[in-house]
Amino acid sequence: MEQQHAIEQFYYREARMLDDRRFLAWLELLTEDVRYVIPTRHIRLGHLPARGGDEFHLVERELGGAEEAALREDRLPLLTIRAKRALAPNAWAENPPARTRRFITNVEIEDDDACAGEVRVLSNFMLSYSRHGADNHLYSGQRQDRLRRSEDGFRIAERRIVLDWNVVTAPTLALFF
Amino acid sequence: MTRGIEDLVSADATLVSRRAFTDEAVYKIEKERIFGRAWLYLAHESELKASGDFVTTYMGETPVIVARGPDGRINASVNSCTHRGVAVCHVERGHASRFICPYHNWTFGMDGRLLAIPQQGKIERPVDKARLGLRQVPRVESYAGLIFGSFDPDVAPLEQYLGNMRFYLDNYFARFADGVEVVGAPHKWRLAANWKLPVENQLGDVGHGPFLHGAVLGGRDAIAEIEAYGFNMVPEPGHGAAIRLLPPETPLASRMWGSENGSASAFSAETQAFLLDTQRQMEDRLGSVHARIKGLTYGVYPNFSFLWANSTIRVSHPRGPGKVEYWSWWVVPAGAPESVKRELQGVYNGFFGPGGLLEQEDSDAWAQQYAGSAIDYMDDHPYYYGLGAGEEEVHPLLPGVAGSCYNEHYARQFYLRWQRDIAEGAAR
Repeated sequence: MEQQHAIEQFYYREARMLDDRRFLAWLELLTEDVRYVIPTRHIRLGHLPARGGDEFHLVERELGGAEEAALREDRLPLLTIRAKRALAPNAWAENPPARTRRFITNVEIEDDDACAGEVRVLSNFMLSYSRHGADNHLYSGQRQDRLRRSEDGFRIAERRIVLDWNVVTAPTLALFF
Repeated sequence: MTRGIEDLVSADATLVSRRAFTDEAVYKIEKERIFGRAWLYLAHESELKASGDFVTTYMGETPVIVARGPDGRINASVNSCTHRGVAVCHVERGHASRFICPYHNWTFGMDGRLLAIPQQGKIERPVDKARLGLRQVPRVESYAGLIFGSFDPDVAPLEQYLGNMRFYLDNYFARFADGVEVVGAPHKWRLAANWKLPVENQLGDVGHGPFLHGAVLGGRDAIAEIEAYGFNMVPEPGHGAAIRLLPPETPLASRMWGSENGSASAFSAETQAFLLDTQRQMEDRLGSVHARIKGLTYGVYPNFSFLWANSTIRVSHPRGPGKVEYWSWWVVPAGAPESVKRELQGVYNGFFGPGGLLEQEDSDAWAQQYAGSAIDYMDDHPYYYGLGAGEEEVHPLLPGVAGSCYNEHYARQFYLRWQRDIAEGAAR
């Protein structure tokens, strides 16, 4: 219970940090070797050998594999460029900035590996995005995280974002989810 | 007919009406006379290696299935059952032996032929199945692995339609000894823009780079290189190729594909060796002019684009005057080791695609240009496309008409052809 509470609090603080546009502070929550991935989400037929079973429509099969170009495949250097760019006056897609609100739910500890000091956590998100006047958008998806314990709390070592879209209908995926 | 359609583009195309991007009536004519007639990009041959392989795409707003049929030939069928119109295929790609309409299970072959009507056994009057196949796209042809289709049975052959554009396509698509390969389904996203806006950008609008993308590209050597050696080529009116023609003495490592912004030095030794070797082989095969060309952006009329340095094919699928479904495929050298492909991936999706550093800014600019185009009372304020007008000339080495990197003749020629197509179509 304590662990669950600590992780939820971590996520709420992280969401508030991003909604408050404290992107440089957010970078501090990442490990040096962070992987930040948004795979493509394909429309596929069910897997015939698994017909009649839950494996028939496995979500994982709809996600682009390692050989494909993901929608995003960021490491720390690219995440740092994005965070710093968002604070530049001539970053025309970020200035004026978007108004965002992140809602993090369904926080579920999948696996707690005390030896490695890592916790695998699933969570759902909704992100409300508003930038130009009345042009408002809602994103939804799942985050598959690997959090690493450090002396002063958790660090994000991996985040895989599973979007619910095939065709992206919001203006940008260059956000922190 | 739309009144004033002949006035949307001025005689020298230095002025283009905002209505060219927003008018519903103009859009209807575009669908009929451009998307109903031009060669439109369908797929890459590497996506259809074996009989039974298929992908789904659009020609304008018309959904089509592109498949390699039982005889090994590539064909394109409209994805709509001839019985009640339901799509017979609802997935993006795959391998199949037939398409079954969900509604009454009419069943079609990979070449669109109607194979079975399940109800037929219970009725007496025979049905002529030969007449009820999926509607075929009458012309399907390939160039350098790029498959195009046209709804016009009388359209000029693809090679002729591409004309001098083939030289620039060769520079990329014939560069690799084993050809290229399209990996995975495309990235797809909606833009609140007219379909011509992304097209125009990638026909040759290198001029926005240092400005719109100043936060990323500002002060980079790449900009100086483009300003010194860049050309906006118009191989044929409507097509475009923005390139750099580097001096002959440029070191191999600086003229090779993959060496943008000094990025090659960040690659592993294996990748650097692969890129150098590829460049050497290409220069032997394609010769000394190709050896000096580093591409930037390409466009094939009406809605195919290609980013040379970032290795991505894109198509601007219209969805009404104010919406685009933009599709973007990642392309790799077919013979490259997996580890090399992994390293090259970031050159594409770090910068382009719906989450790309640069494309994020482009997408926003196109949506804002569309919003600007839709403002009332602005008929007397057309857009200015006159930069460099009259300065373009024939180049001794590069096929087509050459302009400097900020010359907007690529757009002038595109809109002149566009205007001709929508106006002359009526007479056909």
